[in-house]
Amino acid sequence: MQSTPTDASHAPSDALPAYLLPLLQFADSALPTGAFSHSFGLETYVSEGVVTDTDTCAAWLDAYVREQLTPTDALAAHLVMTAPDLTTIWRVDDLLRAQALPRQVREASAHLGRRTVAIAAANHPSPWLCAYAERIEAGLAAGHPAVATALVGRGLGAPASTVVALVLHAAVTSLTQNAVRAIPLGADAGQRILAHVQPRIAEAVATAATLPIEALGAVAPGLEIAQMRHERQRARMFMS
Amino acid sequence: MTAAPVLPPPTLTGQISLRAERRGDRTVVTGQRHDGSLRVLRPLYLEPEGQVTAVVVNPGGGYLGGDAYEQRFEVGAGASALVTTQSATRIYRTPHARATQHTEVVLDAGARLELVPDQVIAYADARYDQSCRVEMTADATFVATEVVTPGWSPDGRPFRYEHVRSRTEVVVAGRLTALDNLVLAPHDGVIGALEGFSHVGTLLAVAPSLDQARVDAVAALLADADGVRWGVSRLGCPGLSVRLLGRDTDTVTRWLTAVLTLLRGTPPTLRKY
Repeated sequence: MQSTPTDASHAPSDALPAYLLPLLQFADSALPTGAFSHSFGLETYVSEGVVTDTDTCAAWLDAYVREQLTPTDALAAHLVMTAPDLTTIWRVDDLLRAQALPRQVREASAHLGRRTVAIAAANHPSPWLCAYAERIEAGLAAGHPAVATALVGRGLGAPASTVVALVLHAAVTSLTQNAVRAIPLGADAGQRILAHVQPRIAEAVATAATLPIEALGAVAPGLEIAQMRHERQRARMFMS
Repeated sequence: MTAAPVLPPPTLTGQISLRAERRGDRTVVTGQRHDGSLRVLRPLYLEPEGQVTAVVVNPGGGYLGGDAYEQRFEVGAGASALVTTQSATRIYRTPHARATQHTEVVLDAGARLELVPDQVIAYADARYDQSCRVEMTADATFVATEVVTPGWSPDGRPFRYEHVRSRTEVVVAGRLTALDNLVLAPHDGVIGALEGFSHVGTLLAVAPSLDQARVDAVAALLADADGVRWGVSRLGCPGLSVRLLGRDTDTVTRWLTAVLTLLRGTPPTLRKY
């Protein structure tokens, strides 16, 4: 039998995955979680004159993706996507809360996590996501946006690498928009930074799949010190 | 067809365990064991309020690739111990396997443990993974300091160790409360890693009295610290962490000791032999 380009045998690769649009909703910086209020230490570098333009902002974002987002958000999302049971996911949430030594980072993650879970439970509920929402409500879990978004992806049967990439894309897009306002930069510069950092996100997705759970929350000292110093900064646009 | 080789269980290069308990108005060592290349000197009384000081010695002189050390410190109800080292922990190049050290801490009700070792010196091509797990009651006190220093390398460059990782888990009343997961790889970029500095200091403290006012007092103390970059923040439980970057061991150690002194009320007596 002769196949044609429109033959049904091509349909599976061409079908719109059911998870795609819901996950794009959670990767959108317009998701009302309050991410626009958090710089995760970037504002310290801006106010100290270290991050001043497109190039220095891109360099900071490279370091942030490699040294912090990879072993934290990316690894957490990967662990949630591959967890054999809910106990593993509760352990990931515990580790995420405990590893955030800078108070503002800990509070930011819990706030963004709770908002993400609430939006997800209202729009794309799944048994594990609802169990996470209940656990947060009961004060037994802190909440983290990477865990919440990964649970959305898992509930919709999305591939792990896609979910981990979108978790990082969401974090990086919000931060870049915040950097554009804070430094300030032009909107086109923000897009150049996003394009620049995309290969770093791909590396982070690959690396996260190789890391053990003991690596969760590993952090380079400079980023952490900047996040601690932000508490004592006089004029602040951001809550972290 | 060849069968997979049966590997012997991993053998430890050295291990110590020490239990301290309160007897009347002072703390005594009630149990002590050592094996291989780690020892504890005879307990000393150098501190107020009957606190016992234990000095850990590594007769081998340094950690090599594949070396694995284990330490266990238990402090009974109401007892108080300070553990230090006789000299720096030197990590030499580890071409085939990293060097590791694991420390297990158990603190009963109202117990106090201060871990104040000399600096870790990581030489060229050294890979070192250190882990510590603390299990404590909510009214116990745990304080640990750590300084990581680059060793001199034959080509004269100072920062060529591969990595030093130090992971500390603090479980308070059965719940994971603080996780310090420090990774140092000095060949990484400048922004966010060592920020152009070479030495790293850490102080982690968990104790009922450590509220935001104490954190602010530490920040006020460090505000005068020249030549270092520092951050301090409150933990998710009563407690705080301090991270310090500097350019020499003495300066980093001096400021960590100043914070420790502020927290404990008197300077620690770290007598060396």
